[in-house]
Amino acid sequence: MPPEPLRRSVLRSGAFRFALLFAAIFAVGSALVLLTVQQQIDRYADAATEGSLHNETKILASEYGALGRGGLTDAIQRHSSGRDPQFRFRLVDGDGRVLAGDLPANVRLDGRGTLELREVDLAVHGERIETFKTLGTPLADGLRLVVATDTFDVRALMERLGWFTLASGIGITLFALVGGYFVGSLFVRRLHGVNTAVNRIMTGALHERLPAIGMGPEFDELSQNLNRMLDRIQSLMDGLRQVSTDIAHDLRTPLTRLHQQLEALRRLDTVEALDAGIEGALVQTDEILAIFRALLRIGALEGGVGRGRLAQIDLSEVMERVAAAYGPVAEDAGKTLDTQIEPDRFVLGDRELVAQAATNLIENALLHTPPGTRIQLRLSGNMEGTTLAVADNGPGIPKGERSKVLERFYRLDASRSTPGSGLGLAMVQAIAALHEAILRLDDNRPGLAISLAFPSTTPEA
Amino acid sequence: MKILFLEDDVELRGHVERSLVAAGHVVDTSANGPDALFLATSSSYDVLVLDRMVPGLDGLSTMKALRAANNRTPVLLLTAMDGVEDRVEGLEAGADDYLVKPFAVTELIARINALMRRPPILEALTLLKAHDLEVDLIRRTVVRAGQRIDLQAQEFKLLEYLMRHAGELVTRTMLLENVWSFHFDPQSNIIESHMSRLRSKVDRGFDRELIQTVRGAGYRIDAA
Repeated sequence: MPPEPLRRSVLRSGAFRFALLFAAIFAVGSALVLLTVQQQIDRYADAATEGSLHNETKILASEYGALGRGGLTDAIQRHSSGRDPQFRFRLVDGDGRVLAGDLPANVRLDGRGTLELREVDLAVHGERIETFKTLGTPLADGLRLVVATDTFDVRALMERLGWFTLASGIGITLFALVGGYFVGSLFVRRLHGVNTAVNRIMTGALHERLPAIGMGPEFDELSQNLNRMLDRIQSLMDGLRQVSTDIAHDLRTPLTRLHQQLEALRRLDTVEALDAGIEGALVQTDEILAIFRALLRIGALEGGVGRGRLAQIDLSEVMERVAAAYGPVAEDAGKTLDTQIEPDRFVLGDRELVAQAATNLIENALLHTPPGTRIQLRLSGNMEGTTLAVADNGPGIPKGERSKVLERFYRLDASRSTPGSGLGLAMVQAIAALHEAILRLDDNRPGLAISLAFPSTTPEA
Repeated sequence: MKILFLEDDVELRGHVERSLVAAGHVVDTSANGPDALFLATSSSYDVLVLDRMVPGLDGLSTMKALRAANNRTPVLLLTAMDGVEDRVEGLEAGADDYLVKPFAVTELIARINALMRRPPILEALTLLKAHDLEVDLIRRTVVRAGQRIDLQAQEFKLLEYLMRHAGELVTRTMLLENVWSFHFDPQSNIIESHMSRLRSKVDRGFDRELIQTVRGAGYRIDAA
């Protein structure tokens, strides 16, 4: 997959999308705030306008009370002169004649009302429609006074507020876009390194690991975890490769032998010889299959297959069973199998696998020791865990060779002629690893002692 | 006995079919799961031998479908996978026995026989008899021709298994699995060691040997 151009990948980056989302949320938020503020201001302005109309009416009414009709018209005259008078008036008598003021005739004479008037705008040298709030009040003698005031100031404020919100909205959106782009490009560039490493791993550089992403411990933890996963996959693959190599190399010898044996069969001419030859070939095939099976099993165990099946098992019971099976075998081989099995030792394990491990150890001891050897199967434990041991007083293994015998197909010089595949201990080791048990080879003075130390578990009640 | 054999490998199928027919069985074969399922539901068999891995509906799924339809015909699963979990999965899904490829045909036939003779409901057998040999499963005593024979626990289990399958071939792996619960192949002659002890107690001193060795295959105890 060819990498995208940086700009496009930044615009598609998560950080940039987040920035966009936040800008949108901000826009909606400011619209809501604006609406609320507008309503509040409206309500406040209404109240203020009403108050000032009432006040003006009250002042004029008191003028009328004190100075009579002339005083009132004078006061109206006075109040509507000046550069930008706050109020406009209309004063009519009982017959409907206009005594003072310039409000048009269609104004409402009693109570509250609104009125739209064309008005000269000094600022723009033109005319515009202006909305007025009016309050009509009856005075004595049939006089009616209407006071009006414009709503211009409030509207101007609202307009300005709207513009401010719009401008700040645009500003913040732009800021979010630019910021998002930068953060996005930062992310993309950091991740680019990781992606490049992944690409290299996919194309075969299996030992390569991901660089730290940076920008925070959570990201570094991610790349560390990914690296750990790669390590695990690597070890599994190594194991697999090991199995295939083993199969390729170590099955070749027995297969060649089988091939030769079958070829030799062709030259035989008696039925008895042929029968014996076929029997021999079948035995060879079985041996090859046994090796094959053991290799696959070791491979699967090393891959961790079966770990999920581990459960609390009575290791004592399993060992009693193994011991019972092998007692007569040892006797027939002129050796003795002594057991010393502590009852009720529970471990987290797989019945069959631990039985197979013990079996392999006992069979090794039977196979590689002279007649008369004493073999011991011991199971003991304490708070720290349970130890399974198979010990003999045979020839033992030289110290330098002890770790090598755990390798697949490794055979001591002394035992090259004895039957066996060289896989028994490798299998025991794989089983031990699956059980998180520690496998040890010790000098039994004389002889060999192999022990498997299982970690402690709480026995089931 | 009528057997259904599901196997996709033509050569293996033909070979096994011929061997089963030669052993006196009636055999239907099928190369894929759906056919096997159809056959198994449309006629009645004594044993189903299903290869676990065949293309399409595999043997395990075929068996699960049958078991879901309450078909209780004994099933022997054949498989190339011999992991512990594979076997456990097969048995838990309702298989009665499990045989890992490659296998000897005598082994397969012995196991098929064992499955066929298995009583539908485990009868409460308390006394097993073969010729003049009697095994009392309750008192755990063995008597031959009126003479009490003392056996050790493992020898008793071994004899009990042979007696339960009296007249049939019992293979080494069947004994390992059923008497010792060993599902792997030990290199030592465990069976031979125990068998020779059992024989020395059961057969020595009597004019007829009840426990017979079937060369290259296993053992059989005479039924009558």
